[in-house]
Amino acid sequence: MLAFLGLIIGAVVALLLRPTVPQEFSRYLAMAVIAAIDSSLGGTRAYLERTFNDRVFVLAFLSNAAVAALLVWIGDHLGVDLTTAVAVVFGVRIFQNLAALRRRVFGG
Amino acid sequence: MKATRPALAGVLALLGFLLVTTANSARADKRAAEPRKAQLVRIIETRRSQVGDLDAAVAKLRGQVGAAERKAARATQIDAAEAAAAEKLAVQAGTVAVRGRGLRVRLADAPKSARSPDDENAGRIHDVDVQLVVNALFSAGAEAIAINGNRVVATTAIRAAGDTLVVNFRPLRPPYRIDAIGADFTRFDRSEIAQRFHRWTTTFGLSYSARRQDSLTVPAFAGRVAIATAAPEGQGG
Repeated sequence: MLAFLGLIIGAVVALLLRPTVPQEFSRYLAMAVIAAIDSSLGGTRAYLERTFNDRVFVLAFLSNAAVAALLVWIGDHLGVDLTTAVAVVFGVRIFQNLAALRRRVFGG
Repeated sequence: MKATRPALAGVLALLGFLLVTTANSARADKRAAEPRKAQLVRIIETRRSQVGDLDAAVAKLRGQVGAAERKAARATQIDAAEAAAAEKLAVQAGTVAVRGRGLRVRLADAPKSARSPDDENAGRIHDVDVQLVVNALFSAGAEAIAINGNRVVATTAIRAAGDTLVVNFRPLRPPYRIDAIGADFTRFDRSEIAQRFHRWTTTFGLSYSARRQDSLTVPAFAGRVAIATAAPEGQGG
């Protein structure tokens, strides 16, 4: 419950403060967010499978987001657009996690 | 386990925060990119109309200068021959508008549907085509030529910037209308480029026509004519 409260509080704070991200960083942030969404879905899945561990989740969340942003940054410096690569990898994982969640919830 | 609960809430708060921030900044990026394009288009259009206004002002002022010079020549009784020579030079330099009998050549790109997709450039009028036509007109006796109202003078460059034809640093849009006073139709029509254009109208769908005109007006050159650095050899400088 506290966790969901946190989600809502975070969103409300962002809506109130309306922080702006410099344009050159917005791609890194977007990739970090996609990684973070994947992590949170993975966390929910783990919770339903009763293997959820706070510490693992927090670590995975932060490291995934950081690595995603880092990959895009490295790609920029190598002259390769890795945005698509990160988006595809995490996109696939998001769908896999969602499918697992669906099976868990509906028993399909 | 209980000890990390606040951390979990904090991480999710971060997630919510980042989600909203990213959504906001993506929207802001799009907003920032769109008006920039519109702004550029507006700047280009304003500058273009400014250039047009300035060209017209230059032409008007040149006309006034010419009239004043003529008047001054009359008033001070300067040699009539000298005034006539100056006028002749102005005609040759292209700083006065001239009128007379001549040829009007029209060139236009092939319609999009007639162009073959693997050779887009074949259906387009290029700078070289216009250069060749102008050269052929001059060798057919043309004394004054204007391309879409841009007078061709000694320092005129006919070139391409990307797909756009540029004459006297003014971008032109097709169709191209080349007015040549004094050009002879039969001599021009015998030229290689005219013959080629006759073929190209059927092979590539380019549009080409050359017609005699009894009264053509070629405007004055609007650019800078003064030669400041170059001096005739043997006169120092």
